[in-house]
Amino acid sequence: MNTFSVRAFIPPLSRRCVPLRAMRQYAMQAPGAPTLEIFSHQQKWMQKERAAASATTSRDVDYLRDEAASRLCERLMDISRHFPHVLDLGANACNIARMLTFPSEDQLEAGPRSKRVSKITAADSSATLLHRDSELPFNKEINIHRQVLTTPETLPYEADTFDAVLSSLSMHWINDLPSVLAQVNHVLKPDSPFIGVMMGGDSLFELRTSLQLAEQDRRGGVSTHTSPLADVRDVGGLLQRTGFNLLTVDIDDIVVGFPDIFSLMKDLQAMGESNAVLSREKGAIQRDVLLAAEGIYRELHGNNDGTLPATFRLIYMIGWKPSPTQAKPLERGTGMFSIKDFLENEKKSGGGGEK
Amino acid sequence: MPGRTRPIDKFAGAVAKCSKEGSVYGKCIMADYNNVYKDKCLTEFLKLKECYLAAAKKR
Repeated sequence: MNTFSVRAFIPPLSRRCVPLRAMRQYAMQAPGAPTLEIFSHQQKWMQKERAAASATTSRDVDYLRDEAASRLCERLMDISRHFPHVLDLGANACNIARMLTFPSEDQLEAGPRSKRVSKITAADSSATLLHRDSELPFNKEINIHRQVLTTPETLPYEADTFDAVLSSLSMHWINDLPSVLAQVNHVLKPDSPFIGVMMGGDSLFELRTSLQLAEQDRRGGVSTHTSPLADVRDVGGLLQRTGFNLLTVDIDDIVVGFPDIFSLMKDLQAMGESNAVLSREKGAIQRDVLLAAEGIYRELHGNNDGTLPATFRLIYMIGWKPSPTQAKPLERGTGMFSIKDFLENEKKSGGGGEK
Repeated sequence: MPGRTRPIDKFAGAVAKCSKEGSVYGKCIMADYNNVYKDKCLTEFLKLKECYLAAAKKR
């Protein structure tokens, strides 16, 4: 009986606040795999609330979310359908809804993208951030319904409710991604898409490495300053595991130039994207470390024109809820001609577009 | 917050005046960044810090 138990590694949650008597009960465990808590939801909620409390500062740093949301909307528009009811999960400041009211970049004359969406439900855990832009004129151009979630990991919706679920730049703060994706699959109507974008891979690797080097030199060890992020190859497996069909996963790198490391940190803070890893060192980064990190960042990654690049890697994922009527990929070996022959003929007969 | 400079802005302003020392320190770390240990570049860092403290005092 030498089975390995992970229970010893699960941190005792809120044990200190609970009186001892209340703790004497049966050890219960959620069915399925135990979930490890990595991010502090309370901390994240507080950061978002604080960031949104100053609306102007918060709007100034919307550039990244707007861009990601716009690219996400383009992907939604690629599906030639009408969407009666769409869920925006983790809506932040309803960036997707605002981007939907603009025309598509490919067809500027076709009118706003929201013509294809009858109703959008924007759900987020932070009420201040969610309602930040509720007075702006774009709210009248789209039928938007805002809903504050009690926790970011539970969807309070009936099965088969939505014709599409979108999610822009909020899934990287979710502890139990498989469970949330399974819930998304549950609330989708059959044969409906989930289109999401999350931070992943090597996002902010410049900041990560320079802080690590600075701490290594100044304090002789490293602590967590940037979140662990999902990688591209994880996302495919994750979608498949939670029951999605016809997967598409692709990445986009957005490199933003900053004058110094402090502007980058201030922008991240104003976005509400500060560090919320549970095992982070509480309190501010030491000045010595910051001073050292600035020098290292500039030397190691800085551009020739004196700006500091910060890479944001966006992972886009599209998955479809299975349905019997859905178009299926053909079975292996049913191809009528060989692509190899086709490509070779193409090359021989003038080469087409190739040189 | 209007009418008040955030500490980080003051800090950034002072650090910006020490780009030369910062670059010397950065180069020292860069020289062998796979093997960084505590106080590897102490002398360079102290120069950087001295410069920063002087710059911070001036304002």
